[in-house]
Amino acid sequence: MSKTAFHILRVGLAITFLWIGILILKNPEAWTGFISPRVAELLPVSPVEAMQGTAVLDLIIGALLLFGVWTWIGALLGSLHMISVIIVAGITDITVRDIAVFASAVAILVETWPKNLLMKQKQT
Amino acid sequence: MTALALLFTLSAIGIAETVYLIRTRRAAELPVCPIGEGCATVLTSKYSKIFIIPNDILGLLGYIVISFIAALLVIGINASFWAPILKILIGFAALLSIFFTYLQKYKIRAWCFWCLMSAFTIWLMGIIIIFSSAI
Repeated sequence: MSKTAFHILRVGLAITFLWIGILILKNPEAWTGFISPRVAELLPVSPVEAMQGTAVLDLIIGALLLFGVWTWIGALLGSLHMISVIIVAGITDITVRDIAVFASAVAILVETWPKNLLMKQKQT
Repeated sequence: MTALALLFTLSAIGIAETVYLIRTRRAAELPVCPIGEGCATVLTSKYSKIFIIPNDILGLLGYIVISFIAALLVIGINASFWAPILKILIGFAALLSIFFTYLQKYKIRAWCFWCLMSAFTIWLMGIIIIFSSAI
């Protein structure tokens, strides 16, 4: 991936996560509708609290990606988060776009994954 | 809401840009200059600081504050207090950007892509504020 394309993808994805986090904080009750009832029953906290936690996580991921600090951790958290969103909300007409966000996070993760981490793992 | 979304997006772009400039400066590297060749001339000139504060840090702080206030306004926290502050901040930044553009044209006599991008970002924010009735 070219450097320019990478940075456009990184900043664009950061804005997406930050904006979603802000929108959830604005009205967490409205976002609880995306939690499927069978998952809501399993939650240890109320759906509103779960959405508030999600908003904070979104903001953290967005900040890591935007500032380019520990970008791979931001991308890893983003990828895992999107997997959980797809599982919790299921594939619908709206959430199908989450696949694009997930793929973008994975692309950034692949680009930023620390090579020395892999080498150390192979050596041991 | 749309205006705030645009302001937030523009400020996020500004944050990414200024972080890049700070990183390259701290690493004693020259930034990539996509258009023109004056970036290094401008960014290393005596006008690249206000007193002891580098302009890129000033810009980063400004963009962070703007994005933070835009987020507070979206969430609806004390809008009557934050909305005028946002307008004043963007107005001040727009005037400062005019001054920096003047410096590039008449004093330094070189154009910096990143500085102009930042100026246009701020001016666009100003235009959004002027034409928006949401804030």
